[in-house]
Amino acid sequence: MPKIVFPVSRIEGHAQVVIEVHAGRVVSARFKATEYRGFEHFVKGVAPEQMVVIVPRICGVCSTAHHLASVKALEMAFGVIPPPLALSIRELLMLGQMIQNQATSLFLFTMPDRLGLSSILEAAGEAGSAEQLSSLAHRALQVRNAGTKLIDTAGGQFIHPVKAVIGGVTGGIEEKLAETMHGTLMKTLPMACELFDYYIEKSVALKEQLGTWGDDTPTHYIAAVSEYRPDYTGDSIRIMGPDGRILATFPASGYLNHIQFEESEYSYSEKSSYGGKVFRANSLARINLADYMGTPLADRYLEQFRESFERPAHAILLFDIARGIELIYALERAIEILRQPLDNDETMVGYRTRDSEGYGLVEAPRGPLIHHYRITNGIISEAKFILPTVHNIIAIEQALRNSVERYIDSDRIDMEIERAVGRVVRAFDPCIACATH
Amino acid sequence: MKTFAVLQLSGCAGCEVGLLNSQAWIDEYRLLYMPLVISVHDMPDTDRLLISGGVRTDEDVYNLHRAVRKTGYVVAIGTCAISGGIASLGNRDNVRELFFSQSARHHVPRLLPRSYPIDEYVSVDLYLPGCPPTPELFHSVLSENGKIRTNTTVCAECRRKKIREIRPAQITGFQEGKVSPEVCLIKQGFLCIGTSTRNGCGAPCPRAGHPCVGCRGPSNALIEKGSDAWFESIKKVFVALTDIPDDAIEEGLRSPQLSLFLFQFSDYAHTGRLPRPKEKVV
Ligand code: SF4
Ligand code: SF4
Ligand code: SF4
Repeated sequence: MPKIVFPVSRIEGHAQVVIEVHAGRVVSARFKATEYRGFEHFVKGVAPEQMVVIVPRICGVCSTAHHLASVKALEMAFGVIPPPLALSIRELLMLGQMIQNQATSLFLFTMPDRLGLSSILEAAGEAGSAEQLSSLAHRALQVRNAGTKLIDTAGGQFIHPVKAVIGGVTGGIEEKLAETMHGTLMKTLPMACELFDYYIEKSVALKEQLGTWGDDTPTHYIAAVSEYRPDYTGDSIRIMGPDGRILATFPASGYLNHIQFEESEYSYSEKSSYGGKVFRANSLARINLADYMGTPLADRYLEQFRESFERPAHAILLFDIARGIELIYALERAIEILRQPLDNDETMVGYRTRDSEGYGLVEAPRGPLIHHYRITNGIISEAKFILPTVHNIIAIEQALRNSVERYIDSDRIDMEIERAVGRVVRAFDPCIACATH
Repeated sequence: MKTFAVLQLSGCAGCEVGLLNSQAWIDEYRLLYMPLVISVHDMPDTDRLLISGGVRTDEDVYNLHRAVRKTGYVVAIGTCAISGGIASLGNRDNVRELFFSQSARHHVPRLLPRSYPIDEYVSVDLYLPGCPPTPELFHSVLSENGKIRTNTTVCAECRRKKIREIRPAQITGFQEGKVSPEVCLIKQGFLCIGTSTRNGCGAPCPRAGHPCVGCRGPSNALIEKGSDAWFESIKKVFVALTDIPDDAIEEGLRSPQLSLFLFQFSDYAHTGRLPRPKEKVV
């Protein structure tokens, strides 16, 4: 059976899309993750304290989410409750993570699809007509750098943060440092809005050209954000049905009762489902689940979104728009927190280790992330990482199939198919390093 | 304008993210290949090739060989490219068995027996250690040929004080629930190895109150020696500065995370090959 293989770029990690075609019909669409390192195996035997340093290396794009999920799992295992200031600083860390990731996904990964380029860095640095692009690249990098700067400010290191430890964080944020960060974000916010407005404009143009916002088959959604505003350090996971009803709410420890996993021969990534039914995680799931954002500009964007699309919204390219709303929210919310005093001595509490089990949950950029550890004889004896990209694999394959059908008939394949594959995959912003770990 | 490319093998992409944080090169260098941000599938000819990630699958080997033909200058960036990195924790024998029994798949690139450094396969002109290297270090590699040569340790950039009268009797780590902002972390019962780690990162970790885990690799004083010598020298530091019993120090120093980072240049120790010369390490 003829197969068409597409390498996928502008995503995190190594993956391929393989489409099988027979007599002008799509027989299967597969999303293959082609890398593997084996974290679940090699963290066995590690001292619990070292997990928070080791696991961010699962992925350099969402390292902060792993850092915090790990700390939360260990705190549950040891029965420790961190002080309020530590929680504020951890929220800042997650906001930095969101800013960095959403800006990268929007402006570096998917913007080129709207401009017909292979990259926005492509012509940067060239004179003349490319000036505009160079300025776009500079601003895009500046917005995402504001995210890593925030991770650095709150976490002590810009990619693999170190400040969150069992019991809290190693220290507060000095007034001066907080002020500088606040200033940077104040300058970044209008720049991000401007870029996002441009992004929306180009997305609408793309939609006009394609005649669709993409596959809008109704599905379930999964996210770990609270009802009234997105809190990315979440404590419970919710599942929304295709019609918008909430079907389940459960803590991280209950994940096996609601989520089913299967392995596949053609990929190093597992795939998961809601009792056999397709669900989706990531930005669109959160926007569907959130009643409002709770910050002025983000709420205005959300309002526009709700006026244009139903709730829940299902079309694929709306993942990207939802990402922009979150970028603005994360900037605004971080500015709010940085106005509070963040520098007192009560940043951490002591603890004693014990043999036990713990679950740590955060809402990572790609959806709910769970770390599940068992500690025996003082060392990690078992570790399970429940990765949000895994929740999206079946949804990606379904969307790929529905989308490539349009470009294949019995006597020809339209070469637009390659761009379509890229757009679908990038809308889900999959992270292969995470998915396979 | 000079050109460069970035090849990502099995790693976490943190090195690439670090590179993106250094905007300084945008107007000086043309980035021609880096799948994370550019949709170009064939490696073009470039002046410089940066390689991140370890060699974990047979696809990595294939991509590595094909890529180095296209350039005259190869830079290994990050712990993974230098030693196989975090995935080398899977090299421990007991872990490996598990690994292969549970991870075999048929229609994906085959896993190699372990995670290898890139210079196991190709020759490398410059090593840039760090997990990930800081944007400043990236910039120095691109614009100044790695001119920031390091000659001291993380301690010199940390500025915490080693107060003579304080001598902890055990490694307590974070269990006590406090970190003093001024005093050297060793003096507070942490396993900080900044005394032996090469400088250049600006000591972000100890300055933020977390011990240095040595991601920049050993200082020039140690790098061309065998890993046993490093081990002894770090042990001596703890003996001199603390009253922690020898066996507790040894156990701490043999922990997986340190074997990973500080000892990243040690994988030649038992092979009979020469260690990487310090002139080649940024
Ligand atoms: S060296 Fe560190 S940051 Fe770079 S790819 Fe490896 S784990 Fe990631
Ligand atoms: S805290 Fe670590 S890096 Fe800083 S002075 Fe002490 S040993 Fe050196
Ligand atoms: S302080 Fe140590 S662990 Fe932190 S970046 Fe520097 S060398 Fe790496």
